[in-house]
Amino acid sequence: MNLGIPKESHPGERRVAASPAAAKRFVELGFDVTVEAGAGDGASYPDSAYESIGAKIGSAEDAFGADVILKVRAPQDADGARELDLIREGATLVSYVFPAQNEDLVADLKARKITTLAMDCVPRITRAQKVDSLSSMANIAGYRAVIEAANEFGSFFTGQFTAAGKVPPAKVLVIGAGVAGLSAIGAARGLGAIVRAFDTRESVRDQIKSLGGEFLTVEIEESGEGGGGYAKTMSKEFIDAEMALFREQAKEVDIVITTALIPGKPAPKLWLKDMVEAMKPGSVVVDLAAEQGGNCEVTEPGARAVHSGVKILGYTDMPSRMANVASDLYGTNLGHLLDELGGAGSFSVDLENDIIRGAIVTHDGEILWPPPAAPEPSPAAKPAPKPAVEPAPKPAAAAAPKADAPAATSEGSGFSRKALIGVALTALWLWLRFGSGASDAVGETESEFLQHVTVFILACFVGWQVIWSVTAALHTPLMSVTNAISGIIVVGGLVLATDEVPQTAAIIGAVAILFATINIVGGFMVTRRMLRMFNK
Amino acid sequence: METALITLAYLTSAVLFILSLRGLSSQETARSGNTYGMLGMAIAIFATVTADGINLYAFIAVALVVGAFIGRNMAAKVAMTAMPELVALLHSFVGLAAVLVGYATYLAQPKSGAVFETEIFVDVFIGGITFTGSVIAYLKLKGSLSGKPLLLPGRHMLNLVAALAAVGMGYWFTTFDGADGLVPLAVMTVISFALGAHLVAAIGGADMPVVVSMLNSYSGWTASAAGFMLGNDLLIITGALVGSSGAILSIIMCRAMNRSIVNVIFGGFGTGGGAPAPAAGTAAAVTGDIQETDVAEIVERLASAKSVIVVPGYGMAVARAQHKVQEMTELLRDQGVNIRFGIHPVAGRLPGHMNVLLAEANVPYDIVLEMDELNDDFASTDVVLVIGANDIVNPSAMTDESSPIYGMPVLEVWNSDFVVMMKRSRGTGYAGVDNPLFVEPCTRMLFGDAGDSMDGIVGALRERAGS
Repeated sequence: MNLGIPKESHPGERRVAASPAAAKRFVELGFDVTVEAGAGDGASYPDSAYESIGAKIGSAEDAFGADVILKVRAPQDADGARELDLIREGATLVSYVFPAQNEDLVADLKARKITTLAMDCVPRITRAQKVDSLSSMANIAGYRAVIEAANEFGSFFTGQFTAAGKVPPAKVLVIGAGVAGLSAIGAARGLGAIVRAFDTRESVRDQIKSLGGEFLTVEIEESGEGGGGYAKTMSKEFIDAEMALFREQAKEVDIVITTALIPGKPAPKLWLKDMVEAMKPGSVVVDLAAEQGGNCEVTEPGARAVHSGVKILGYTDMPSRMANVASDLYGTNLGHLLDELGGAGSFSVDLENDIIRGAIVTHDGEILWPPPAAPEPSPAAKPAPKPAVEPAPKPAAAAAPKADAPAATSEGSGFSRKALIGVALTALWLWLRFGSGASDAVGETESEFLQHVTVFILACFVGWQVIWSVTAALHTPLMSVTNAISGIIVVGGLVLATDEVPQTAAIIGAVAILFATINIVGGFMVTRRMLRMFNK
Repeated sequence: METALITLAYLTSAVLFILSLRGLSSQETARSGNTYGMLGMAIAIFATVTADGINLYAFIAVALVVGAFIGRNMAAKVAMTAMPELVALLHSFVGLAAVLVGYATYLAQPKSGAVFETEIFVDVFIGGITFTGSVIAYLKLKGSLSGKPLLLPGRHMLNLVAALAAVGMGYWFTTFDGADGLVPLAVMTVISFALGAHLVAAIGGADMPVVVSMLNSYSGWTASAAGFMLGNDLLIITGALVGSSGAILSIIMCRAMNRSIVNVIFGGFGTGGGAPAPAAGTAAAVTGDIQETDVAEIVERLASAKSVIVVPGYGMAVARAQHKVQEMTELLRDQGVNIRFGIHPVAGRLPGHMNVLLAEANVPYDIVLEMDELNDDFASTDVVLVIGANDIVNPSAMTDESSPIYGMPVLEVWNSDFVVMMKRSRGTGYAGVDNPLFVEPCTRMLFGDAGDSMDGIVGALRERAGS
């Protein structure tokens, strides 16, 4: 089975569908691989490298004439020739398609009975992560965004103490902590910057923290959790609060990297003109959503703009700027997809396979896009493994029970305390109801004793209840005040201050009064002294 | 005053005492809580003095005035660093008063019978233990006695024999009619004194927060026992309140050290004594290089930090460095640095001791946080200053199962970028355990008196702020 890798004709596109290392995998899967001459030049992969892994070098016609065609960009007009015309009927094309934006292309593919698999339509499910090139590319884009920003930024990222003085570290704000955002956080931290990140989804908090970023949020209870790991559009109140937070941050941060995308919609405008103007001159905004219109109001997609001294980078070709590694990762993703398709030996388009069903756009002269909706909960609920190329969402579930645990425990002990009180009250009632008759039989002292025991036990319960609510910071005052209160033993001395008892008893009682009074006065006074010191 | 009125007054007092403890649940209400306590006490004393039959007013007046004078002086003079000593001393007075009340009541014979005599016995016994135990605790805290546990051979057996002997005396005591049983009562008192002293002497200095809480609890139970003896509900209620309070504090302290109450009360720490850990010497030896630092580097780091956490320990109290710490706090807060304090439940020698010291130095209480409140924040903290603390920041409590303090919750300071340990010497902490934190790559040691070191830091910070 032939497999063709043509040269990308889109202006400025340096990537190729597969690196030699990735193409080797295709050969292993049984494909006869043909690479168009010079296809890997932009990504620094010479033809000889492809030849060395067993691929043939051929013309554009050879590459496009294969049974399976692997590309980065969708086929287009180049040098007056239509690439689509070179593809045979019934061939399989794998590339980025963006069917929602390119309806004409999809219609054309359907008419030509070409089977099309769109790499941008691979479902974002755990099993498909190895095929998910959007994540691979976003990872590169996030990293590159930091590098581009560093290139434009006129100072160090890391703080430095030099003989000539102190340089504070750069402050980086990353908006949207998806794959690209997390990658940017990691890269910026790696360079030594102070990184803050904003996201509407609470579930990414731990991921941001684990990369060394600071999680910014607004004080409104609303989950931004949308389907397929994306965020959803938020309410007006939330956006107002978010804007206020950004305006505050704009004055402080040196670098802003925006990565906010909402599927099927233009990118939300989050970094407004006035925020750009509030930034220090020389600051840099990198808008990774430029292709979808940009998160920043003054972004010029595909270009570098300057607004009130702030540089706004709207490059749409971040992965292409790192064509070497991008081609390698993209090719690896393609290799996994070809694996799903059964390799050269048992190549078939299996519509029951959810990865293929999600990616397929046209097949046998029919348009199969969009796939039937499969509702996807947040990726946070799934314990996804963490492949090297992609900072996949870590199970936030692991963190959630940890936070909940103390609350649950205290609730539990509160319940058992209530149960204990219930038991005590029941016992008291039983004693009063059935025990009081029996007390006639015992002596008066014993009956009195039992009464005292009741009082004692109830007082213990009251004490138990009250003391647990004392805050730890006040444990020393608690001790001194209970110290003073335990001076109540003074009453024991006082009741003996009468001439009805032997004089010795009265004198000993008076000494007891003296010591107890030291306690009372000393305890209360020192408590008052301490409590006066507790100031906000 | 009529009996009904007295009962009503006692009820009011009891309610006021409960409100008093309730008031301590937050700093805002704590002062009114203290006032409730005073009011309750005043009502109780007034009601008792005006009861029928009380007529030796001269006795009462002299005792009250002298006692109040002494108490006022003690409270006004005590330094906040000496609070643990004062609290221990006050506990001993309650114990002594209880013993005296027991004797006086026995001589007065308001009631008779075995139940009454048992009540006297219990009152004197607990009072005696509280008295001498608190005195020993006081001497240890003051430094007059060594903080090291006194470990007599067969000490558990000694305790058991003493307790059995006391019970035997108690039985003998109940066989007497009238006030003739003074001999067994006196013997039993001596036994309880010896038992109290021995129990506390066997407990090491690091466990003092628990001991003080335990004695606090005992003093409450003593009052309760006196209440049984005198048939006075107010004493019973108040004693029970205080007793529960001390017991809860002890539980909190023990949880904070991951030790059982029994282990603390009967065990000399680090010597086996029922502890599952082997002797401290067998714990994984700490190897590696200690990196020292100086004031200049610390100041440089502090000046460029966004977030700082101070972890104070007993060393700060000893060096009386809290005021310097407060000055540093204020200077850093002026620079917009987020500075907070992390308090371990057993930092210091008294529950909440660090909070009181910091409050004395005017550190705002809302930046003084408990361990659980900020343990997760160390990773995002630029600088951690550990001032005179050791065991409460020891990572081997979490990692080294052979360590005697394994399992004790600790402040995870090593997660931050830069940790400064201010220490007087290279020695180990009270628990006698090596601290691998010293050789962590993020740790810098600053040896010397914490007060002097803080002086240097505050001075250098002021210079920077001024320039």
